[in-house]
Amino acid sequence: MYRSLILLLFIGAANAHQMSPTYPKWSDSYIDNISVSRVRVFNKRKDVEYYEIGVFDKDMKPIPFVTQYDLRGIKYHNYAEFTIYINNRYKKDALYVCSKSMLPKLKSTGVVSKICSKFKD
Amino acid sequence: MIKDFSYTLALTIIVGIISYGASKSAFALDVPISASVTGSCIISTETNGTYGQPNAYTLTTAASDGGQMPITRVDVTLASAYKVKFTVPNSFSSSPNLNDVVTFTGDTEVSAVSDATNMADYETDKVEVSDYVDEYDLTATGSTWFKHTSVAVNGGSRAYPSGNYTSYVVAECIAL
Repeated sequence: MYRSLILLLFIGAANAHQMSPTYPKWSDSYIDNISVSRVRVFNKRKDVEYYEIGVFDKDMKPIPFVTQYDLRGIKYHNYAEFTIYINNRYKKDALYVCSKSMLPKLKSTGVVSKICSKFKD
Repeated sequence: MIKDFSYTLALTIIVGIISYGASKSAFALDVPISASVTGSCIISTETNGTYGQPNAYTLTTAASDGGQMPITRVDVTLASAYKVKFTVPNSFSSSPNLNDVVTFTGDTEVSAVSDATNMADYETDKVEVSDYVDEYDLTATGSTWFKHTSVAVNGGSRAYPSGNYTSYVVAECIAL
C-alpha cells in the first residue's frame, strides 16, 4: 500500500521570486488626495504564473488601495511593475506592500513565497 | 562714439565669458555618476521536498525514513533590511478524505550561509514564534539556505488512505 501513495511536498528547483525596491515611496498622483507608488516583481518560478499584490498596516491587516490588477500573471523570467494608488487618508497606516506567489490549485504543492517591502517617507 | 564703445564692451564681455567657459571645460569637465540602490529580497526553492513513509501512519521528510528535506534560499542585497519568516506545514493542502486528525510537527534551521563570519549567529538568534513559525533577522548581505522538516502522524496510528498528499511551506521576506 505504501507504494501506492504519491508523496510530494515540493515541486520545482532553483525557482525564485524577487521584489524591489526594499523601501518604496509614495508620491503625489495626478488625482487630488491620491498618492501613487510602484514596485517591481520578477518571476523566476516556473511553477508560478500569478502573483497577488496587497497593501498592509503594521499588523499585516489589509489597507484599501487600487491597482490595475491585484492578481497579475507574470511570465517566467519576466518582470511586472505594479502601480499602486492609495487615498491619502490611508497612507499613514500603509506600512507594507507585499507580493505573494499563487500556486495553481491542481499543483498546490510547494513553497508559497511572499515578499514585503516597507513604505518609508 | 559712445555707441561703438558700448558694442565693443559688450563684445569683449561675451568673448570673455565664452573663452572662460571654453578654457574651464578644457581643463575640468564634471561628469556625474549616479546610482540608485534599491535593494531586494529573493526567495528561491533550492531542493524539492518529499515525504517518506516509515510506517503506515507517518509521513516525514527525514532522509533516514526515505524523505527529502526541502531547502529554500533567501538572498538579500541590503544588510539588516529584512527578516525572513517560515511557516512549516500544519495541514495538508490536498489529500484524500481523512477520518482521523493528523498531528503535524516541523522545524526550520539554517543549513548553509554565504558569509560564515557575519551570518554565524543566524540560527542561535532565530525567534521561534510558534510551533510552526520561525523568524530570522538577515543582518548581512548574501545568501542563506534554510532546511525545513515536516512530520505528519495520522491519528490513532491508523494507516493513511492511498492517494496524493501535498503541503507547502510559506516563506516570507519582510522589510524592516
